[in-house]
Amino acid sequence: MFRIFKERFKEGIKAEEIKIRDENVEILGKQLKEKIDKYFQGSFAIREVDSGSCNACEYEISALSNPYYDIERFGVKFVASPKHADAIMITGCLTRNMYEAVMKAYENVPNPKFVIAVGDCALDGGVFKGNYAVMDGIKDKLPIDIWIKGCPPEPIDIISGLLILLNRKFEER
Amino acid sequence: MVEKLLNPIKDLITDYSFNTENEIVIHTSDFNLAKVSQYLFRDLDCELATVVATDDRFYDDRCFTIRYVYSYHKKNVFFIVENKVKERFNSLANIMPALNWYEREIRDMFGLVPLNHPDPRPLVLFPENFPPDLHPLRKDFDIKTRPEFKSYGKYDYKEVEGEGVFNILVGPIHAGIIEPGHFRFSLAGEHILQLEIRHFWKHRGVEKLAEGKTAEKVLEIVPKVSGDHSYAHTLAYVQAIEKLSNTEIPKRAKYLRVLFAELERLMCNLNDVAWLFQDVAYSFGAQGMFILKEEVMRLNKALTGNRFNKNVLKIGGVSVDLNQEKVNLIIDKLGYITDKFEFYKKIIFDSASILDRFETTGRILYETVKELSCVGYTARASGLKSDIRKEHPYLIYDKLTFTSQTFEEGDCFARLKCRLSDIEDSISIIKEVLSDLPDGEIFTQPNLLPANRWTLGYSEGQRGNIMYFVKTDKEGKIDRLKIRDPSFNNWQAIQWAVLGDIVADFPLVNKSLNLSYAGTDL
Repeated sequence: MFRIFKERFKEGIKAEEIKIRDENVEILGKQLKEKIDKYFQGSFAIREVDSGSCNACEYEISALSNPYYDIERFGVKFVASPKHADAIMITGCLTRNMYEAVMKAYENVPNPKFVIAVGDCALDGGVFKGNYAVMDGIKDKLPIDIWIKGCPPEPIDIISGLLILLNRKFEER
Repeated sequence: MVEKLLNPIKDLITDYSFNTENEIVIHTSDFNLAKVSQYLFRDLDCELATVVATDDRFYDDRCFTIRYVYSYHKKNVFFIVENKVKERFNSLANIMPALNWYEREIRDMFGLVPLNHPDPRPLVLFPENFPPDLHPLRKDFDIKTRPEFKSYGKYDYKEVEGEGVFNILVGPIHAGIIEPGHFRFSLAGEHILQLEIRHFWKHRGVEKLAEGKTAEKVLEIVPKVSGDHSYAHTLAYVQAIEKLSNTEIPKRAKYLRVLFAELERLMCNLNDVAWLFQDVAYSFGAQGMFILKEEVMRLNKALTGNRFNKNVLKIGGVSVDLNQEKVNLIIDKLGYITDKFEFYKKIIFDSASILDRFETTGRILYETVKELSCVGYTARASGLKSDIRKEHPYLIYDKLTFTSQTFEEGDCFARLKCRLSDIEDSISIIKEVLSDLPDGEIFTQPNLLPANRWTLGYSEGQRGNIMYFVKTDKEGKIDRLKIRDPSFNNWQAIQWAVLGDIVADFPLVNKSLNLSYAGTDL
């Protein structure tokens, strides 16, 4: 126990320390927080659904919660139930076997809702496009509000993607 | 040596031949297949590395070929039992449970029927949305075929009945940011009587996609098989291609390949340990390990421009070289990681509340991992040695020293200890590689792929060994690509791991095995 406290005091809070090192995350994060505070009363809930990705996108989305990004401090929260979500985030191509489950998850997100496609495969299937086992991507099946490109997109790309989404939806009208 | 090993079954086999210097092909009759398999699996203690079916109906043989690949651990040898099949074949799953999924996979993908299979339900192609007569890996199946989207049948789950027995159904979509899979718990009170898993929700048709493409083109698909293992998968693939085309890569490229492979292993292991802490609600340790994982990913980015080191491997070498500046950066980062890691390691062994959750939870017996041919830390935590870097050394692993420790207990704590010792192994290997990194080229122009040849490619991923089977067609393009992620062998073990545990421990058991869905589903 003593050792833990010693380390705590010696290290300080990691998220603050990083400010100096990763300015971009802080700048984008601050803007994101402003938007979320303004339009979502401080909490923007996302339900992440893997519709057939290779798990690299999941790897990077979960990295958003580590102390370097700690996206929850900007008001973004990944929730367990689609019913609690403001947006649904879809990764990977849409496989035949997952089609029904993805559609059900989408329907259960209350309106108004956003659809965020993450990764190169999510839009139209990427390299898997045209294959027997996939329905390509979610392009013509769900109304996509933003597509965050990359294989996989880096955590900072996802943060800036969310910022662009909120800008597009609320500021540019 | 081979003569001596095969002597006890010399009457049962018709002949044997060398495909490459460590791949021995055994021919036997349908009648003796079971006996030969039993001898290799039980008497020689081989691991069932993979089972590959190929559609050779348009070649000379006019039939399908099923190859059972056994990995012999004491010498660098693979035994491959070839079986020619027309429509049906004898199921061996009753005597070798490790074959269970393989045979069902072959039935779905090729339409070959395993006779007397203990579990004849479909595996990969769900009856809910695939017609029963669709067999994608047959050569006369067009990849673009898309049958009408409707229900063609129903999947029968196992029933557990009794007073007070109830079921909990989980998935395919789970609560966290993880991949889809379906779990069915049958419980009496809090205790798990049975767990049934159903996977292949993410079946994307990777193997069919590779057919008819050039080796270079397939290199774009392979990193997308299992994202966190993209490097190890690509390594297994390029090694198969280089072996087929007889391309010897430069010495410096071999060292660099090992370096990046160990960086990936380090990243995955740190991530696993972090999630294990997270699942026992030990946030301090978890976030500490997440920091180290992020450091490795940022190191990757600084070295190669990609956080996963995708696109580093090329057929014939690597595309990224290290200068002195980068070498220093790696040494700096490793120093930082080692210090921090030592600190967290002490905490684990100090804290009763952590140990209490890990110890005796999710126990898998030695017999279970042996019967199912489990690989990687799943096997090593239960006392079964499994590390293809030692069994069939590739690149420069025969010159390196590392422990690849095994433990006896088979519980979550043993699997955690495997991870911890693997982290130390990776760090020491990277240091060793950097200390005698030779100068020279990092790439050589690969030779052309020969026609109508096949071989195995393999590498040790963090979860265990990854097996690739590559066969070329008459133009030297890919005719068949069989991918076997370590998770394919290990998934079945989870059904035994949770027996007698409570549901609340399942997330921990699941994380302690941390299996890939994408790699299994393909």
